[in-house]
Parts: sequence; C-alpha cells; structure tokens
Amino acid sequence: MTVHSIHKWPKTDATGSLLRALGSIRLAVPLLAAIAAILIGATFYEAEVGSAVVQQEIYKSPWFGGLMFLLALNLGTSTLLRYPWKGARKIGFAITHWGLVVIIAGSAAVIHLSVEGMMLARTDAGPVSTLRVEGDLIEVAMPTGVSTEISEGMTEQASLFIKADGSVVPSKVGGLSLLGYSDNTVNTVHFEPGSRVENSAVRLVLKSDRMGQSLERWLAVAPAAYGTMDIGPAELQIVKAEDQQALAEALAAPAEKTASAKWGTAKWGTVDISWQGITRTIDVESSLNQAANQPFEINAEEKTLTIQTTGFWPDFRLDGNRQPTSATNLLRNPAVQLRVSSEGSTESWFVFGKPGFEPIRNLIEGDAIALNLSYNIAPDAGPDAFFRIVVDAKNNLHYAAKSSKGFKSGQMATGESITPGWADFEVTLAEYIPNARVEREIVPLPKGAPEQGSPALLVSTGEHSQPTWVGWGEPTTVESEQGDWYVAFSPKLLQLPFSLKLNEFIVERNEGSESVAMWTSDVSLIDPQVEETSHRRVWMNHPTWFKGWKIAQAAWNPGDLNQSTLQVKREPWWVTGLTWLGSTMVTIGVATMFYGRAVAKKFKKVSDFLDVPETEEEAESGPSIPLLNALLGR
Amino acid sequence: MKLVKFTLGLCLGLLLIALPFSQFQPSPLSPLETIVVQQGGRKKPLDTVAKETVAKIHGSTTHKHDGIAEDSTTTFMSLWLNSRNWNEEPFVLFSYRPLKEKIGLDPDQKHFSFQTLMKNSALGEVVREAHRKELEDIDLSRDEREALTLEDRLTLMLGSVDDNTIAIVPHPTDPKGKWLGISEEQTFYTQSATAPLIADFAVMKQMFLQASQSGASYPASHLANHLASHLSALTPTAAELQAGLRNLSPQVYPAIGAMDQEVFFNHFHPFAKAWKLYGLAFLVMLLTLWVKPLELYWSAIGLFVGGVALQTYGFWLRMQIAGRPPVTNMYESVIWVGFGIAAIALTFELIYRAKYYLLAAAPLAIMCLILADSLPAVLDPSISPLVPVLRDNFWLSIHVPTIALSYASFALALGIGHVALGSYLFTPEAKSRIQLLSQLNYRVLQVGVLLLTAGIILGGIWAHFSWGRFWGWDPKETWALIALLGYLVPLHGRLVGWIGNFGISVASVVAFNAVLMAWYGVNFVLGTGLHSYGFGTGGSEWMIASVVGADLLFVLAATARYKGWFAKLLGEATTTELSANSSS
Repeated sequence: MTVHSIHKWPKTDATGSLLRALGSIRLAVPLLAAIAAILIGATFYEAEVGSAVVQQEIYKSPWFGGLMFLLALNLGTSTLLRYPWKGARKIGFAITHWGLVVIIAGSAAVIHLSVEGMMLARTDAGPVSTLRVEGDLIEVAMPTGVSTEISEGMTEQASLFIKADGSVVPSKVGGLSLLGYSDNTVNTVHFEPGSRVENSAVRLVLKSDRMGQSLERWLAVAPAAYGTMDIGPAELQIVKAEDQQALAEALAAPAEKTASAKWGTAKWGTVDISWQGITRTIDVESSLNQAANQPFEINAEEKTLTIQTTGFWPDFRLDGNRQPTSATNLLRNPAVQLRVSSEGSTESWFVFGKPGFEPIRNLIEGDAIALNLSYNIAPDAGPDAFFRIVVDAKNNLHYAAKSSKGFKSGQMATGESITPGWADFEVTLAEYIPNARVEREIVPLPKGAPEQGSPALLVSTGEHSQPTWVGWGEPTTVESEQGDWYVAFSPKLLQLPFSLKLNEFIVERNEGSESVAMWTSDVSLIDPQVEETSHRRVWMNHPTWFKGWKIAQAAWNPGDLNQSTLQVKREPWWVTGLTWLGSTMVTIGVATMFYGRAVAKKFKKVSDFLDVPETEEEAESGPSIPLLNALLGR
Repeated sequence: MKLVKFTLGLCLGLLLIALPFSQFQPSPLSPLETIVVQQGGRKKPLDTVAKETVAKIHGSTTHKHDGIAEDSTTTFMSLWLNSRNWNEEPFVLFSYRPLKEKIGLDPDQKHFSFQTLMKNSALGEVVREAHRKELEDIDLSRDEREALTLEDRLTLMLGSVDDNTIAIVPHPTDPKGKWLGISEEQTFYTQSATAPLIADFAVMKQMFLQASQSGASYPASHLANHLASHLSALTPTAAELQAGLRNLSPQVYPAIGAMDQEVFFNHFHPFAKAWKLYGLAFLVMLLTLWVKPLELYWSAIGLFVGGVALQTYGFWLRMQIAGRPPVTNMYESVIWVGFGIAAIALTFELIYRAKYYLLAAAPLAIMCLILADSLPAVLDPSISPLVPVLRDNFWLSIHVPTIALSYASFALALGIGHVALGSYLFTPEAKSRIQLLSQLNYRVLQVGVLLLTAGIILGGIWAHFSWGRFWGWDPKETWALIALLGYLVPLHGRLVGWIGNFGISVASVVAFNAVLMAWYGVNFVLGTGLHSYGFGTGGSEWMIASVVGADLLFVLAATARYKGWFAKLLGEATTTELSANSSS
C-alpha cells in the first residue's frame, strides 16, 4: 500500500466536501445567526429566571459548548482552506479567525479549569482558609446490604445545582433520588411507638368553631420540652403519676395562690435596693402605674440615689431585634427594668424573678454605682387555665382541666372529647402511645410562609420508600429496607493553601455624604508552610495575587463594617494567556484585514510583501496546503 | 479658494459661538454664583446647585412664574431665601398620567404645587406602599416608581427652602469633612466669627424679599429684568459672605476662582452650541448639493469642524470639572456618541469628500445632543461622584469610550443607510449614488466592527481585573456580542453574495436595534446584570419602541419598492380593473 492509494480512497471526496462545508461561509452565516438568536433568547430568559439558571442551562450547557466547538471548527477550517494567506486582507483574516479559535478554547478552559469562590473575612475573627465555592455538595453513603459496615468505595459525592423552581440537577446520586429542594423548611417532631423505655405521648386535637381553629399537638413526658405547651388561651400538660398520692395531687383542683399573702399585695413582686447600708423596697406594679412614674429617691451621707422603674415583662424574652418583650401574660419569667443614678452616674438594670438568674447591668454614663438589687416575686403557682393529661402507674389516662369557669377532672380514653371551658374549645385525645419515641422530621413550609426556615433537600432511597428531607449542613441518617443511608447536604467548601486575616476594613466616603467612595480590605496573607506573612491592600479594580490565587474585593456589608467579602480565584496561567493572546490576535487581525492594504501602500517598503492583488472569494475554490490537498483528494 | 471657504466657515461658526462676547466676561452675579456648596459628595458652585435643583424638581431649568420665564438662579434664590409662597406655586413636575388619574389629579396639568401633592392622601398611600415593598425587596410597579420620584422632588424642594440643607459653611479642619448650613454655623465656629456672616445672609434675604414684593407692582414684562437687577444688587453682600466663609477655614475652602470654570461651563453650554453649528453645516451642505452653482463644500466642513472642536472643548471642560474619564453615565454616553458620529463622519469626509457623511451625521449628532439636553429626568446631566466599581480604573477609561465610539460608527452607518434606503424608495433611478452610498456605508461598518471588537476585548480585560473573569455572559456583554454578530452576519453574507448593496443598507438600519438594546435596553428593558449602575430609572421605553417601529416600517416600504411589491400590487389592481371593465 502506498500513499497513492489514499488518493484513490473512495471516501476522500466525501471528506473533502465535508471539510469544505465545515469551513464555508455558507455554514458560518447561519451558525452566527443561530448563536445571535440563542443569545437574544437567553438574555430575556435571564431577566425572568436569574443568572444562575441561565448559566447552567444555556451558557455552560453541553449543547451550547457544542455550538461553540462547531464555530471554532468552522473558523479554524475556513482559515486553513484559504491558505496561502497572501495579502494584508488574507493575513488579517487568518489572524482574526485563529484568534477567535484561541479565545473560544480559552473560554472553555476557564469554565472547566478555574476555581473561584467567595471568602467572608472579619476583623474581629481569626484567619480564614476555606473558600465558599458556588453550589452545594451532596455526599451519599449507601448501605451494603447485610453488612452494616460502610466501605469507602460506597461513598459518592456530587455537586448540586438547584434551579429556581426547586428541582435539583443531577436527579440521582449514588442510588439516591434527589426529588426537590426547599429553602424554607423547619424541624418538627412527632412520636411513634417502639421505645424500649416507658414514655407516654398523646396527640391532642383542639377544635374551636367560634375561632374557626383546629390544632393538633403532641405532648410527651420525655423529652421535657414536650411536657408542657402554651397554646395561647391555656396550657397543655402531661404528667406521669407514679403513685396514688401523686395522681390525687395532679387531679386535684389547684390551691388558691398563697403567694400573694407572703409577698403582700404586690402582684408583680417587689425590688429590694441595698445601697450605702440602706435597704428599701419598691412595689413594681404601683411604681409603674403611678401617674407620673415618679423616681424613687434614697438619701444617705449627702448623696442621693434615684431609682426609676422603667419596664416590666411577665414572661421576659428578647425579640428578633434584641428588644425586650413578653412572650405570654403568665408570670413565667418576670423581669423588671430599672434606671438608677447617683452622683452623675447612670445605670440601667434588668432584674429577674427566677432564682439563679443574675441581674444584667449596663453603665450608661459615669462610674459604676455600688449597689445591690434583688427582685422578689412569687414563683408562678401555675397557669390560670390548663388542660392536663395524667398518666397513672398502670398507664391509664386521666385529665384535669381548669378555666375561669371552673375545674374538672376524670378518666379519659382515646377518642374521647372534653370541653375544658376556655371559649368553645373541645379537646380530643386522638392518639395515645405508652412507649413513644421521638421522631424528628424536616418539613417544608408552604409558599408564602415567612422565610424563617433553613434549606433542605428531599431525597428518596427507592420507589417504595417515603421521601425524606435532609437539612442543609446536617448530616442525616436515612432509614430504608436495605439499611441505613448516610446523606450529607452541605455547602461546597474549598481548603486554600494559605489563610487570610482581615486586619482592617476601610470605608472611604464621598465628602460630606454617606455614599461610599471606596472600600479597601487590609489583609495579611499567611503561608503556613514557610510561615511567611504578607501584608496587602485590596480594593475595587485593584486585586492582589498570592501563590497563584487572585484576591479581589467583592462586596461589603453596610450594617457591619468589621466584615468584608473577598473573591478568591485561581486559573492556570496558560488559560489567562490564551484569552489574552486571542484578544490581541483578533484586534490586530481585524485592523490588518480592513486597513492593512491602505497602510501598506503608505509604507512602500513592506508593500511588496503584503500588497498582492486579491479577490474576495477566490479562496473558497483553491487551497493548496499539501496536507489538505491530500485530504481533499487533489 | 478651498482654504478661504473653509476658514470662512470655521470663523463664522466660531463667531456665532462667541456671541455675545459678554459671556467670556465674569458674570456680574459671579460672587453669588460661585459661593461654594458641598452637595452630593463634592463641592460645587451655587450656580450648579441652582440648575440641578430646579431641573430636578421642575423638569426644566427655566420656570414660568406669573407668566415670566425665570432662570434657575432666580428661581433657586427665591426658594432658598423663601421669598414667595412656594406652597401654592405649581412648580413640581408630575407627568405620569396613569398615576395622576389614580390619585385624582388633573391628568393634563404638568406641574403641581407642593401643598396639593403633600395633602393628597392617595399619593401618600402609594408612596408608603412603595417603601414597604422596597424594604421587603419586592419589585415596584411603574406607579410606585413614579411616586417615589415625586417624593424625591418634594423632599428636595423641602430641603431647598431650609437654610441648613444648603451646606455652605466649610468644615474647620478636615478637607473631606461635612459642611453645614448657614444657621448651624455656630457648631463649628465662635459667635464672633459667625455673626457677621449670618447678618450678611439676613441682609440678602431681606433685599431679595423686598425686590420680589415691590416687583408685584411692575408690569409683567419688566419684572424679570427687575428681579435680575435685584439679584445683582445682592452681589456685594454675596461677595462679602463668600469672603467671610473662606476666611473661616481658608485651608478647606476652595481657592478664589476655583468655581469659575464650572460656572463658565454652565453658562457657556458648549454641547447646546455645538448642535447649532452641526445644523448650520448640514444646511450649507444641503445647499451645495442641491443648488449647483453654489460651491460651499468647504464652508460646510469649516462649520462642522467648528462644531466638533466646540464639543471637544466641552468634553475637556467637563473632564476638568469632574476629574474623571469622559464617559461614565448614560448622559455622557449620549453626548459622546453624538461627538463620535461627528468626528468619524468628519474623518471620512476628509478622506472621501462625499458630502453624504456629513449629511448623514449632522442630524444624528444633533438628535443626540438635543436628547441629552432636554430629558434631565432620564439623562441626568449632573456631575456626581462615581460608584466604587467605576473608580480608579485605566481600562474603564478606554473601554467605555471605545465601545461608545463603535456605537457612533454604527449610528453613522444607520444614517447613511437611511439616505440609501430613501434613495431606493424615492429615486431608485439614481444608481450611481446608491452604489456610492453603499460603499461609504461599508467603510463605516468596518470602523464600527473594529471598534466594537476592540471595545468588547478591552471590557474583557477590565472584567478580568474587576470580576476575575474575561467573559461571563453578563447581559451587557452578551448584548455587545449580539450587536457585533448582528453586523458580522450580513457582512459575511455579502461575501457569499447572499445580500448585496441593498441588503447592507437594510442591515445597517436593522442591526442598529441590537446596538440600541446593548446601549440602552439592557439597563432599562432587562434591568439586570452587573453593568446596571448609575443609569437611573427608565421611562421612555414606549417612545423608543415607537421610533424603532416607525423606522422598521420605513425599511419595509423601501424593501417593497426595491422588490417591486408596489408595482406588482399596482399591476394586479390594474388587471382586475381591466377585467372588470371588460366584463361589463
């Protein structure tokens, strides 16, 4: 066989015409038009669904990549077909088109080879060396049938992309189906039979026609948090009575509060003040209720201490804005706020009624005042209205209900209903489990619910199993017939070879205004291997490079100036080189193509080489690269 | 002879600009106009504050009070010194009809009084709802956006009548510190230092108040002069006030004359003068083209050169004042594109002497400049500090002008395309002219393609620095690429003979829509992406859409004529008529 036989190879003509087709303008024009049309569509789609989705579905999709590859092929082939590149126009044409091929190759490399993420650094925190990369990660360990041991080979990891509609790509990882995503889920609890120890749990259904309400609540002896539950008009309780006496006490009508006798008439309690050896008592309710809220004064050794009661909360909490508030009107956690001043010093105090709760004092101005405050209030004898389930030693159920209308008690069985007397509420014992175990479950909140939950992923281990939600950042065990699955749904993080410490975050403002002129991060970059520390400043448009990583100022938090968000990125140097080379080639190429001849004419010296007469379409018919000739069958 | 005619045109143009010569003299109101105010993150002369405030509230720098047009300084002084009942003066611009109808105001009225708007509870409701939505990050409806703009105007108006919002008292030590209003002066300085200045201010206030009250007895035509003369009567006191303010903190207060350049720029208004020269050049060129014995080609060029020079000077001044590259917001980009159209046309005209470059460029450049001048609500001409991402960047300062110049080339191609399509439509027999126009067009498209390619690449380099990637398919980037493809497709199509001269003309008109989209539409229509800083709210979408629509109809008509669809239709009509006749 010789080379000649290749010439006679029947397929050669087909290959030749295929090549010519690939490199022809007749392909280029519709291809460019199609790309333009797709891009137009993509930008409008992006306005609808957001950038992340369009990046995933279009720009970074295989088919778009394929289109780009076809374009590169067209550009590359067309240039080869038009060899030799004589004359400024052809040279420019070749440089431009090859430059475009280089840019496309560079862009593809960027998508696949670069690493990029955001880093949140704080001035009041230590160095950071993990990078939050866009996207989330799932790690799945499958059960291995009979053996409960999980070998490493059975663990699978995958990057997740979550679309705006809540669907997840990919839809299956390591045999686990990923059914959906919600960014607003909450942890809930229900009880199932099957605990080895005795633990009573009941499901109560509360219905009120007048309020148009129907509630369902679980109560359990353990965990303790489920022993009592405040539902607004009353409190639900469950109590285990180990013996007859305890049962009798639990079912007895609550005694009248003796506390009021002990603490006088002070319903909201009293505050004792000890200062300079003097002790005085203030009645909280009367001091707050008096018309002008007059400050209370103590005089000793020509000094005066002024005390003013400024607030009272029966069930003290801090709300979302860290402001004091009362969770209920019951005296669960009574707290009093006072303002004391003496000799130019002022302090604000919070004192608490619960034993063991230390007062909180804040110095507003001046020096600390030497004084002691203590708050005395009756421990709450119990709610005014309640519904109590009492489990006796034989695991039979009883109830006790109190309302403003009175007290009742008796036996109770599953399915029975009681009207305790608060409004028209009716309490039904829907379910009773004597040996209950707690089952925690994540459930998504319905659309339109306030955004207070956390993200979670809905997974399923097989066709017959119940889908389960897996919380973000909470490694979870999912049970199935085959065994336990271990699933971790977490943010994608990357460990950097160096760490970054934010020393200072500098916000410059435009003169006389609040608008920002520039923000700058003053950082130390620490290489743990050589224990080398480098001080850098990073601001907008002025990134810094360290160990091949580029660190740029990305964002800031107007509400917290101790914090700075930096973009950290790395791409191989040759990838950057490719895009820059391509860019230069295209610009020079276009200029040469359009103006090379005119310029060449001006400079006669080079014109002999460049200024060859040319026609625009001759190349489509006559290439003459030896290799191509072979391929084209010439 | 050519040189004589050219010089004649140029000199005539410059003379027209220079008249009246008094504009180069310091204005008699100068001591008042150059009082330094710290506002919006920079120091500016009172003259600029007056212009911007009146334009923002009123939508125009001249306000008609009792039938007399007042300039912005007079109006602003009257606001600041509170010399008339501004509560009841219909002064606040409110042009969005659907909202006016919704809140029960006369939809045909353009300006409303402060009181009318403040007392309108339906408007208050819309504003509150808009604020609530803003807090919760919900998209606002058009009504709500307009209501917020209106609220801004009312706030600005309320601020202008307050002595303390106009910060003229310098910070005692910090060059970047916050300045104060005249009556807060004592926070910084002792009473002995401040008393004379507060007294000066009171005197100004009193004099101005008297002038406006005594003016009531004047016939309307004299009142404007009267007020102006009283403004000049204020100037000695204003000079005293300014000197006193400077003495309070000489190291912080700008040097004497520092504000003169900006006041001159405001008064000289180079961009408004430039379009008049372009217009004149256009008329002279048209005369040369139509009236054969008249050979004024070089005079037209002279006038045009005058216009370009003037605009260059204007840009130089603006760069000096703002201390930054020429193109950083929508207003500047429109002016810059106008400049680019004129400059590129001039270059080609000097190479090819074709007349058509100038004829196509002049109307477009004029349109850009007039648009920029007449829509302060959409294209805000005020100079304000840049957002951080645009700051301190070499690549930005060449990327944006390059891109904008490519838009200018394509705009010029659009102009020539129109002349060509007009010829196809009205004088299809003028084959040689059509051939010439197509060639001229092709040259301009080449420049556009080169500049846009270079601009996109420069943008990529900037993006590489700022965002860490060369190309990220951001909508603005993508649309720049779409625009480029929009021109590359017909240019390549021409190579294989799929389209000819006519196709190139159509393409240069149609593809410009992609440029419009990249330039304007991405920010206003799509409203997404990284490039959406400092471009304000939209509002003229429908106007632009109808212009584009009308233009496409024109293209359709030209195509119909070129393809002979009219003739066919006409032919068919005649045949039917004939057959109808014959059958009867």
